[in-house]
Amino acid sequence: MRKIAKIALCFTLFASLSYASEQFAMSDADRAMYEELLENNPADMMLASGGNLLEELGGDAAVAKFLGVKEDALAAYLAGFPRYLEKFGRVVSIDQMLQGMMHESGKKPYALKSNEMFNMSSYVKSLANEQPINIDINANEHMKKAYAFGKEVFDTKRGARGLSCYSCHNPSVIGTILRTQPLPDISAKGNASAATWPAYRMTKSNLATLQKRFQGCMENALLAVIPLGSPEMTALEVYFTHEAKGATIALPGLKR
Amino acid sequence: MAESKSLIKIKPNSYKSGDIVKVSFMVMHPMETGLRKDKKTGETIPEEYINSVKFEYNGKVITTMNVWETLSVNPVFTINMKVDGAGELKVTYTDNTGKVEETTEKIKPKG
Amino acid sequence: MQRRDFLKSLGVGAASAVVIPSMSFAAEAPKPRGKNALAYNDALGVATGGKKAEVSAKVKLKVPEIAENGAVVPVTVEVEHPMSESDYVKAIHVYATKNANSRCIGVHLSPANGEAMFATRIKLGETQEVVAVAELSNGTFLMASQSVKVTIGGCG
Repeated sequence: MRKIAKIALCFTLFASLSYASEQFAMSDADRAMYEELLENNPADMMLASGGNLLEELGGDAAVAKFLGVKEDALAAYLAGFPRYLEKFGRVVSIDQMLQGMMHESGKKPYALKSNEMFNMSSYVKSLANEQPINIDINANEHMKKAYAFGKEVFDTKRGARGLSCYSCHNPSVIGTILRTQPLPDISAKGNASAATWPAYRMTKSNLATLQKRFQGCMENALLAVIPLGSPEMTALEVYFTHEAKGATIALPGLKR
Repeated sequence: MAESKSLIKIKPNSYKSGDIVKVSFMVMHPMETGLRKDKKTGETIPEEYINSVKFEYNGKVITTMNVWETLSVNPVFTINMKVDGAGELKVTYTDNTGKVEETTEKIKPKG
Repeated sequence: MQRRDFLKSLGVGAASAVVIPSMSFAAEAPKPRGKNALAYNDALGVATGGKKAEVSAKVKLKVPEIAENGAVVPVTVEVEHPMSESDYVKAIHVYATKNANSRCIGVHLSPANGEAMFATRIKLGETQEVVAVAELSNGTFLMASQSVKVTIGGCG
């Protein structure tokens, strides 16, 4: 008798799973309510705090000077990160660029995974708000290589379940509901993920960068987690950002 | 938390005397329920939550709130307010550990 | 709980754990209760002084049908009532009926608010009714409620 109950239960569960997308997709009214939360994004406070940290280093002007661009051209320049910077001899994201800037001015750089760095790099990236993402993967050999490597990281199946980024982010599954959340279209045609990170994660109550989010994805999908700022991670950010090229930067985002 | 941050936002950006505006007060606060355990040490994280918020407009208390630990981390409080001349909006919050903090925002009606 | 009800109450949320013993264990485990724990009926009684709160369409409670995350659930309450010196909405209370401490917030308004509106974000431990109670200056209480389904998360 007990056994029968078990079998029946399993059957029920499988049946409900296959209809999960219908049952648990969020209504438009609900989604609108969550979108309204953007009006008061707690991350605004974190970016303000990041702005204060940057003030101690000389503010926006110091970033422009370090990058060798005029202040009025800074926003558009930042919209092109990750970039190959000769000072570094490699492709870097904004956080590593800031580490270099701190190092040059004799300060101990914030760790990539520190809240200080999340706050400050998010503030700096938000200076590019309203600019279209203008990453140029053909700018030089380094960017070309980074993009190709990023695509490889994106496509490589890893971990216990043999998943790649592509498994959940390919045209055939976009919009499929994974427990109330539609799998996002990472391209500029869709919600342009790269343009809305760094974002406040409501489940974590903190601010996360794109690379930090990649780590969360890897962890949950049982892939070995790639370190922040590593060539693999930076390349993945290059690939992801290029996919969203042209999308308008709007930071900080607000995510489940 | 070494540094507590808060922010007052007024919508819309431009308003006149007599308008009703939306005022949001945001604050970085852990809103600990006292039920969570530290993942590393296994010890219970003590309660730490905002228990009151007060909105004062030009010295007059317009709204007070009794707050419980059941609000989200980094909470947001939004109310309406009738603009009645230029001045200052002051928001004060207290938490159960005895912390008291205030934030102010200028009220600048156009006309 | 009857076995049949228990089966019915299983949402998709629990579906990933198909092992029956662990599920029944989870269902029977007592909920942790904090120092401020207070059941909804008791909390409501304290706020209204035992008076009855009438269900009213004047109280517009906006919460999501499905919370994408129990840690941040948006709540907006609007009360269609004047805010004049002699007749106004004195307070708006928000309750999460199944949280150990059912009280979320009590907002004490004044005519200077212009309109009786309040919005915040609350934590919900499980699927439950959210209740908004409006206290008018003449001492009457109006209320509205809506169920919010709390699912477990997707990718982190």
